[in-house]
Amino acid sequence: MNWDIARKNFYRQGLRAFLNVLVTALSIIALIFMLSLLNGFQAQSTRNLVTTDIGGGHYRSPGFDILAPTEWEDHTLIVPDQLMHLSDQEKAEVLVQQGQLYPNRRLYPVQIRGISMEQMLLQLPLDNLKKFRKEIDDVIPAVVGVKMARKAHLKKGDTLTLKWRDKSGAVDARDIFIVDVGDMINPRIDDGVVWLRLDHLRSMTDRKNEVSWVAVKNYVGPINEFDFQPVENLMADLLALLSQDRRNSKILWSILMILVCTSVFNTQVLNIFKRQKEIGTLMALGMDSNRIVRIFTLEGALAAIWALLVAFILGVPFFIWYQGVGFDVTHLSEASFPVRETIFPDYQPLEIFYSLTIVFVLVVLAAWLPVRKITRLDPTLALRGRAIK
Amino acid sequence: MEKKLIRLDRVSKVFKVGEDNFTALHDVSLEIESGSFMSFVGPSGSGKTTLLNLIGGLDVPTRGNIFFKESGLSSMSRQQMAQYRRENIGFIFQTYNLLPVYSVYENVLFPLLLNGLKEKEVRDRVMDIVAKVGLSDQYKKRPSQLSGGQCQRVAIARALVKDPPLILADEPTANLDTENSLQILELMRDLNRQFKAAVVFSTHDEKVTRYVRREVNLEDGRILSDKNHLNGDS
Repeated sequence: MNWDIARKNFYRQGLRAFLNVLVTALSIIALIFMLSLLNGFQAQSTRNLVTTDIGGGHYRSPGFDILAPTEWEDHTLIVPDQLMHLSDQEKAEVLVQQGQLYPNRRLYPVQIRGISMEQMLLQLPLDNLKKFRKEIDDVIPAVVGVKMARKAHLKKGDTLTLKWRDKSGAVDARDIFIVDVGDMINPRIDDGVVWLRLDHLRSMTDRKNEVSWVAVKNYVGPINEFDFQPVENLMADLLALLSQDRRNSKILWSILMILVCTSVFNTQVLNIFKRQKEIGTLMALGMDSNRIVRIFTLEGALAAIWALLVAFILGVPFFIWYQGVGFDVTHLSEASFPVRETIFPDYQPLEIFYSLTIVFVLVVLAAWLPVRKITRLDPTLALRGRAIK
Repeated sequence: MEKKLIRLDRVSKVFKVGEDNFTALHDVSLEIESGSFMSFVGPSGSGKTTLLNLIGGLDVPTRGNIFFKESGLSSMSRQQMAQYRRENIGFIFQTYNLLPVYSVYENVLFPLLLNGLKEKEVRDRVMDIVAKVGLSDQYKKRPSQLSGGQCQRVAIARALVKDPPLILADEPTANLDTENSLQILELMRDLNRQFKAAVVFSTHDEKVTRYVRREVNLEDGRILSDKNHLNGDS
């Protein structure tokens, strides 16, 4: 009978019940959406760093520090045999040297980064470099990223002077020709970086078979004279940033949960508040307190189930649509985060499950708590609508 | 000789109002017989609703005892009190207090379901009492679709349907116009005769006092007078 009463009470409330359900359902959708966007942002930034720069780690010349450009020339080594025989899907050889670019007669210190054209480990927009011969012709073909191009006022087709030092320390300079302006995604490999073919850079600097590092898909064991830098080390700064971000996202999650809880609690409690007289009437008619609490809790559970169902019906098409459209974060990709202009939500089932469970429990709790309080007071207070204020 | 249904023995009720205590009833003693048709009369704040609530087991006295057929209400647990109300008391409220999502039929049926009866067993009984209050053609409607007078008729039917020995009506005509008030009072008087349930009103409406057989006047929580009207049942 309790279930029959609860069901009847709930369905016959009509618009009021529907609005309660809708508020809860929309809160659930908003919560999942925000969390998934945050996850998507974090996942994309780490994934992009891995696919454009880090791979599964770097075998580096000991002492090489990307933040110490004056020492780059001192930290190059010949590719060891253990790495030489790896396939192009498993490694990417990289040589980094410092240089100066002269766009519009201005001096612009740059990182000259040469990468093997055969490598298939990292995803870089360097297809236009592949068209050129291993030998250098009159001008050196180069690719720059979008941000670099914007900062140095470069565009595809520009020719400008690049100066560098070779292995023996002699300064050399030649014209480079911008064959493409590519979307690098990752600001680390865009801002201030000039991309060349590895064979060209080796030839320019007289460093045959030398690299600054070899990015590998998987760790292949210790190699003499090389340090292995695992992914965690190479993205330590991003991880630190994300760890801070995760802390922030936990705070954000808590704030969102509090907002959702407040909204749901408010809606539910308001509903109970409006029904105080009804509760008082049930008490006057002789329904015992526990039964009243059970009926209203069942109503709450019914509201929660409907809210989950409505959230599913409204949310799933929205999430599918949004997965295709994405969220514009141009401002973030302009900053130091390795994210594209658009991020896509990353739905974490466990996180969604926890959030839904919390909302469900809360809705039931929001029905149970005030009714329990009301039924413990004098029925006369409930009849006058003064049990909870 | 009429059987005693309710006995109040030096009952007092004190409410806390902010920092102060407000005594709503002072040492009230009285008896109510089975089948009586009576009213507590007095101005606002005289204690008539408090008295009704105490007799109905909705509230407990601060001092004194209330007995229903010699069983003390003070010693009852909350559950026993709920059972007492469920089995023995029919309430009629000034604001009707019908369950808004239920139809007339369901509102009247509800107390019987609470007493563990099955709908199919009592359907005729419910329809019969709905007819007695003149709402046969309205039984599917919800309270929001009825007038005040009709709502109060539903409340009367709900109070009577379980055939309780005592009906407590708190200002049942206060929200009704004169015509509806008189109709309700006549209906209640007829049903009192028919069902033999004692009916106790709380009221300050003079129209009500013309109908009752006994009138207990209250002022400041004390009984001023307790009069029997020989012509009250005319």
